[in-house]
Amino acid sequence: MKHRERTIRRWFTGMGFLLPSLLGFCAFTLVPLALSFAMAFTDWDIMRHNQFRHEPLHFTGLENFIRLFGDPQFWRDLGNTLFLMLGLPFAMAGSLAAALLLTRVSHRRSALRPALVIATLVLVASGLVLLWGGMAELGVWCLFGTLTASVLLAGVLTGGTLYRTLFYLPSFTSGVATYVLWKKLYNPHSGPINFGLTPLLDRLAAAVRTSPGVFTYGLPVLCAGLAVGLVAWDVRRLRSRWSGSEAGLAAVVVGAVTLAVPLGLLLHWQGFSLLVTGSVVAVGAGVCIVTTVRRPRPWGRVRSAGEGAGIEIALALLLLPVLLMLAAGIQVGPALPALAANGLEPPDWLGSYGWAKPALMMMALWAAIGSNNMILYLAGLGSISPELYEAADMDGASPSQRFWHITWPQLAPVTFFIAVMGIINGMQGGFEVARSMTAGGPAGATTTLSYYIFSEGFETGRLGYASAIAWVLFALVFIFSLLNFRFGNRDAND
Amino acid sequence: MKRIFLLSLTVLTLAAGLLYWTLPEKRSGAPVLYWATQNDANKRETVALFKSWLAQQGLPPVDLRIDNAGLEASSPGGSPKVLVQGAAGIGGDLIDVYTYQLEMYQEAGMLADLTEDGRRGGFSSDMIYPALRGDLVLDGRQYGFPRQSGVDMCWYNRDTFERYHLPEPSPHWTWDEFEELGRRFVAATNPPGTRQRSYFIDRVWPPVLRRGVGLSTYNETGTRCTLDDPRAIEVLKRIYRWTIDERLMPTQQEQKALASELSGQDSAFSLFATGRFAMLYEGLWASMELRHMGKLRLGLVEPFTGGFRNALAGNGTVAIYAGTKHREQAEQFLRFLTSKPYNLFVARIGDSLPPVPAYTRSEAYFHPRGQENEWEARKNFAAATEEIGIGGTTSPFVLPILAFRIDNDTIEAMLTGLISPEEAARTTARRINEEIALRVRQNPSLQPLFAERQKIQRQIDERRAAGRPVPAAWISDPFLLAYYRAQGWLEKEAAP
Repeated sequence: MKHRERTIRRWFTGMGFLLPSLLGFCAFTLVPLALSFAMAFTDWDIMRHNQFRHEPLHFTGLENFIRLFGDPQFWRDLGNTLFLMLGLPFAMAGSLAAALLLTRVSHRRSALRPALVIATLVLVASGLVLLWGGMAELGVWCLFGTLTASVLLAGVLTGGTLYRTLFYLPSFTSGVATYVLWKKLYNPHSGPINFGLTPLLDRLAAAVRTSPGVFTYGLPVLCAGLAVGLVAWDVRRLRSRWSGSEAGLAAVVVGAVTLAVPLGLLLHWQGFSLLVTGSVVAVGAGVCIVTTVRRPRPWGRVRSAGEGAGIEIALALLLLPVLLMLAAGIQVGPALPALAANGLEPPDWLGSYGWAKPALMMMALWAAIGSNNMILYLAGLGSISPELYEAADMDGASPSQRFWHITWPQLAPVTFFIAVMGIINGMQGGFEVARSMTAGGPAGATTTLSYYIFSEGFETGRLGYASAIAWVLFALVFIFSLLNFRFGNRDAND
Repeated sequence: MKRIFLLSLTVLTLAAGLLYWTLPEKRSGAPVLYWATQNDANKRETVALFKSWLAQQGLPPVDLRIDNAGLEASSPGGSPKVLVQGAAGIGGDLIDVYTYQLEMYQEAGMLADLTEDGRRGGFSSDMIYPALRGDLVLDGRQYGFPRQSGVDMCWYNRDTFERYHLPEPSPHWTWDEFEELGRRFVAATNPPGTRQRSYFIDRVWPPVLRRGVGLSTYNETGTRCTLDDPRAIEVLKRIYRWTIDERLMPTQQEQKALASELSGQDSAFSLFATGRFAMLYEGLWASMELRHMGKLRLGLVEPFTGGFRNALAGNGTVAIYAGTKHREQAEQFLRFLTSKPYNLFVARIGDSLPPVPAYTRSEAYFHPRGQENEWEARKNFAAATEEIGIGGTTSPFVLPILAFRIDNDTIEAMLTGLISPEEAARTTARRINEEIALRVRQNPSLQPLFAERQKIQRQIDERRAAGRPVPAAWISDPFLLAYYRAQGWLEKEAAP
């Protein structure tokens, strides 16, 4: 009896502790979630259903969802959201590179420290003197160079602590403050980015005018060469993975399509019809797939067709932008002399339809490299057993082999976690940045789904429709996460 | 652990109690009213003036406080904060409402109907500029009272024109004259290699340009968007040419970039003062900002048109929240807006025209001491509001913010080269008409009105096709009513 009483009392005590949290969860998460699900199937409009107007709420079935799929703005904003997420693999690669660099920073103390500090101070002072004396351009460059040098030097002297702090700085700086900063950096008239680009573009324009042939033919040839090299490397890698039973058919298809799409786009830019470009993509990818899967597999069959697809998708996201840039280089080369005739203008970063999204991606990349992802990678690197590296050293492994055969597989669970979280955040994100920097413009170029939900729900008051968009977004996040678990998790566990 | 938990609970409960007792409602001896408006010096002075006016009238004191958190007052859709708080039952007692916002707030039912109280309390809509009644009266019901009124005109800096040996614009000018003068200005101020670009004007208002060729956003009854008209395409072509080809004005994104260059003050005014903007398309309130830039030699002309002289007129209206617990005090504030001290205060500072027209015809308005450079502009603003000012166009069948957003989006898409002016016009009209159809379908209470208006529209179209005049009562659009009157297309109206 006593035991039973004690158990009941403990249960009540436990519930007493849990209750505030449970009540908060129910009131602010569970109930709104259930309500928003129900609202998605109604015509709930803040104008007609509120404190003052009590028109009957109508169940509209799937009408909101049907309207959504026919709404061009939804597709545009979904496209924008997915486009902005293309920066994710680069952000992950950047975080990993930063973490790798930070684990290698030497902890040695230098006797030269006072001399380096004095040299830094002298350089900063000279930059300020130049600025004071009216030599603004030289002064700014001098200061910029000095600051970069002093960061490098101070990093060496402090054994990496400074670097870790600097890299992590964007994460603990208020988002809106960094957006304001980047807005100033991107200013087309007075921003330091265009300030630095302008003389470079002036020189480039002069060079193009002096020797147009080099750019008309040289740039496309160089880009084509690089593209062919990259494609050849990837085909070789894909075949090797197939032969080594590391990749199934799905992985090969993803890899082959990744390589064929930029070619199709290049043809499309040159005015070929959709039929021609589509056929070229299909034939190119088909040839790659057929020649790969006909190769023998000495280690036997893979467990499923989806084997290794996660890695191929991740690599595709890295390769595609690079190949697209090379394709753009082939396309732009012949047009450069005409463009450079009156000088080359630096981009209107946030004002141009074509540049606004890449500008936001670059900013996001800056913030993401030193974010929590870097901390996770640092922790992951710290947990890799040193014996593995020692064994590799004894086997005579090169640094590249050490990375690809030890570090990368050991970090797979961390990478998987970062990828899942990155995709979820990417799908849900983009609201604050677009609202602060571009208001979703120009012409909706930076309006993401979350921004669209806000404007439908709180600017036009159509809460039912906004809820439908939110639930479709949830479904997309769910599907992406499912695919990640289906294809990526296996690689992580392997 | 239990003790820590209980201690935390006690501390939190005490803190909540403390917070409750520090609420203004608990500490103030007078009823506390919240006014959702921008927190600037003029509003603060208005609050002080209201308190002293109450004392002079022998009325009990009221603790009027400004609530500007999260406000985006001048946005055509209003502030999401005002809408969401208002619809949820926790809105400010007094709400600032600008052109195009009234329909939205009224439709949400969050504005108090002041028709009878206004008549009884001395703040009826009959007291304001007739052209601006549409800004606070919907379907014959009054929902607020203006704290200021006026039109947008084109300011210019005489020194800038003199510096580049350019003639000043004529008081009534056309698109072609604007384009010609603008082209000469940007050529003179932007030699090759210019990095800090100068522009002829800060912006244009597409509805005013359309009105200049006799076109409104909707038809006479507001049942259909008419922006696919060839005249709308001509306006879009002009906007494209002025913005992209001739670069007479910045794009919206360029405006934002210019604003980020000069943080801490409104960039347009600084650029105007330094000659990088030859003209500013703003209301009289701009004079308050321009005063900080020194004694500029200011000139003012009407908006350039395609033939029909007009200017977009609007009020800064104060409405009373339907859920206020202090209706009486809120109405006292609206009565204060009709008072002499307040109207003379607006006249003196030049924050648009006083809401009661009689006070515009005062020395305080026309000849404020120390602001001689504004005298001519003030005279022109007063005249333009009376002669060519026309209130904003809205349709009861589509939210103004949606129509504005669609119009703005397609113009931006055209300016970025994504679509042609013809496609932009077609897209705007199609999307707004789709919104009208959706709204009418989803809102059964609108359906009888829509059917009735469509019937009237058919009659209007028949009469217009036959060249017969139309009764004024059939036309709900303020611009088309003025246009029809000017063209002699209305049936003879009975003398007032």
